Amino acid sequence: VKMSVYKTVFQLGLLLSLGSWSSLTLATGLATCDSGPKTAWQSAEKLEKMLIEKEGWKIRRIKEDGGCYEVYATNKEGDRVNAYYHPVTLLLVPNTLSVRK
Amino acid sequence: MLSNQSPVKVWDLFVRLSHWFLLSVLVLTWYLRGQWHEWLGYLAVAIVSLRVLWGFVGSPYARFSQFVQSPKSTWQYGKQVIVGQEPRHIGHNPLGAWMILALLFNVLALGLTGWLYTTDRFWGVEWMERLHEGLANSLYLLAFVHVCGVLMASWRHRENLLTAMLHGKKRH
Repeated sequence: VKMSVYKTVFQLGLLLSLGSWSSLTLATGLATCDSGPKTAWQSAEKLEKMLIEKEGWKIRRIKEDGGCYEVYATNKEGDRVNAYYHPVTLLLVPNTLSVRK
Repeated sequence: MLSNQSPVKVWDLFVRLSHWFLLSVLVLTWYLRGQWHEWLGYLAVAIVSLRVLWGFVGSPYARFSQFVQSPKSTWQYGKQVIVGQEPRHIGHNPLGAWMILALLFNVLALGLTGWLYTTDRFWGVEWMERLHEGLANSLYLLAFVHVCGVLMASWRHRENLLTAMLHGKKRH
């Protein structure tokens, strides 16, 4: 096989590799929120307080993911829960709540 | 250098199937999220576990004892590669062998950290998530270097190692 063929394969491979790698770093989670600039966001602390009071959850961690707040918590029964919330409205993003017994 | 002898059967059916099946599962796991990501991850661990077992009981060229060499002789081989004097191996070459071990170990570590992240002890624990992501990135990097090594060895010895992993045959 000619050297130039390998060069082309290598370059194509490099391009595909970088492309697929960067596509992962853009969005890593289950959901994305069209949440605009952070100045309009409500604080994670407020979300935490709301979930403790309304749901009785114990919050493990709240992080940003895809423009949403992603919550790791345990519910009253001690099950592990994972859910996404919109940072402006603090509403649950539909179909993102999962419970592990 | 080219001989008229008939090609040798090097990679058995299990080696070839597990290689391409594992690659497909890992690519899907990389992109999919949620339940699919988890089950595909466990499937990848199952494939690797079977491949490790096969490395002890499988056909001659599938066995670790056939291709894994000491760090010292692997270093020697590496120096030969740099000056373009490395001997051709019908099975895996010593550097490729260590890459295989690294890839297999990386997939197992990835599966372990992924599972731990779902347990009560590590639920939401940031460093476990970071470790899992770091291992995913290192697997990606290793796979890329693996492909580069395959292409370079193919070029050096004028043989197509990519198709050899499809039909399993190599020249003498």
